[in-house]
Amino acid sequence: MMKKIIMLTMITCFFSSCVVVKEYEKVNINDPDMALADKKCDRNVTTAHSYREAAVGANGGKTGGGCGCN
Amino acid sequence: MCVFAFAKAYSQTSQDSTKVYKKRVLETTEVDFLSSYYSQDGDNAAVSGGIGTEELTDVTGTFVVSIPLNDDDVLTIDAGVSAYTSASSSNVGPFDDGPADPFQASSGASASDLWANVTGSYSHSSDDRNDIWSAKISVSTEYDYFSAGVGGSYTKLFNEKNTELSVSGNVYIDTWNAIYPTELRPFGEGGNGLNNRLFTQNTITGNTNYAPRFSEFADEGRNSYSLGFGFSQILHKNVQGSLALDFVQQQGLLSTPFQRVYFGDVADSFIDNFQLADAIERLPDSRFKVAVGGRLNWFLNETFTVRTFYRYYFDDWGINSHTASIEIPVKITDKFTLYPSYRFYNQTAADYFRPYEGALSTDEFYTSDYDLSEYSANQFGFGVSYTDIFAKAHLWKFGLKSIDLKFYQYDRDTTFSSSIITTGFKFVMD
Repeated sequence: MMKKIIMLTMITCFFSSCVVVKEYEKVNINDPDMALADKKCDRNVTTAHSYREAAVGANGGKTGGGCGCN
Repeated sequence: MCVFAFAKAYSQTSQDSTKVYKKRVLETTEVDFLSSYYSQDGDNAAVSGGIGTEELTDVTGTFVVSIPLNDDDVLTIDAGVSAYTSASSSNVGPFDDGPADPFQASSGASASDLWANVTGSYSHSSDDRNDIWSAKISVSTEYDYFSAGVGGSYTKLFNEKNTELSVSGNVYIDTWNAIYPTELRPFGEGGNGLNNRLFTQNTITGNTNYAPRFSEFADEGRNSYSLGFGFSQILHKNVQGSLALDFVQQQGLLSTPFQRVYFGDVADSFIDNFQLADAIERLPDSRFKVAVGGRLNWFLNETFTVRTFYRYYFDDWGINSHTASIEIPVKITDKFTLYPSYRFYNQTAADYFRPYEGALSTDEFYTSDYDLSEYSANQFGFGVSYTDIFAKAHLWKFGLKSIDLKFYQYDRDTTFSSSIITTGFKFVMD
């Protein structure tokens, strides 16, 4: 568990040490396909996974409640 | 008097000259219509204790309407229905017509159901758009389940909006209206056991001294509490990533009341070809889940983008799971994009999972739900998207901005497989 926390901290430090991208340089970052979330039309796919698979969470989908799943 | 008038006029001029242009969080009302058609099949139905058809089809339709209330606030109403027909759940009551068989659908009342949901959410952004608060409330219902939920989140952007931190919490208060397998109901409180008409009008074969282990659940509530943390970072003008950490605590009735279990140390009883339940699944009344996931997206060039996702999950029921996916959007014209994708999933079995006839009558907890078994799954997907940034095509006052169409095929290394077709239409108000 401790190793996992150290690994997570290192990754976080790595992320935050990157150069700052200015607003005018974010054309590609702002492309809809670069969004850090699933497309809306994939929502029912994520819901189907939450019914049929044990794992939920950390993907923007539901983590419990609202249905008899999980 | 003149001095005051001058001071007031100067003050107003001064305020006007420093007024900063503030871009609206949402320019105009947006409407998304999402729909899907899902079908699945397999030979390990939980309703019939790990054997029997898992055939199920489900159709959904959802409207998501986002309304800008002013420059900073957005109200979103999300309303949808989902209608399913299921050969598997029809066998909650398999004796309604014809010879009962776990691999055949019955015409029982549980063969179909309708799930309906309404969620309202409200978000507020600060003037500099570096702080975002949101709150939501939801209600959903189906024949044997009701859920009410509340949630909220706070997001902080900094480092010139290159870095984002968020925290969110949700609470769901759910209630079962428990439905039990038909043959067990006469053995519940006030039941007449083997004198019930089900047993007098049908012949029990095999072990004729049918005596299941059954009692109704006293508490039908289920509460879920989740706490999530998010972190995202722009790494380069073409690369960004995120990390998410979710904790979920569930308490209450976590068993599904209509899922049968067959004990290996109890002689089998049948009506027709259908084996009578020895019990319903029994699972602990609490479960703690942890999921940690990450995304990394890379804008390769004007044509290709690479989207990746990985998640590790574990819970205190003994399940460990890995999920990994990759999607490579390919812009073939300025209006059309293709979406090939692949997803891998695996999980270990829950401590309480037992295959058909694998549980013993002396066990405290048991389930033959293969969704809690050990398995791996592969999913292949393909989609196409049409986008018109000028939204020229119109439906009343709404311009059509985009259409998405996707198909996914999902196969486990067991007998289970499923497929889903999803569509999404996005409209913006003129």
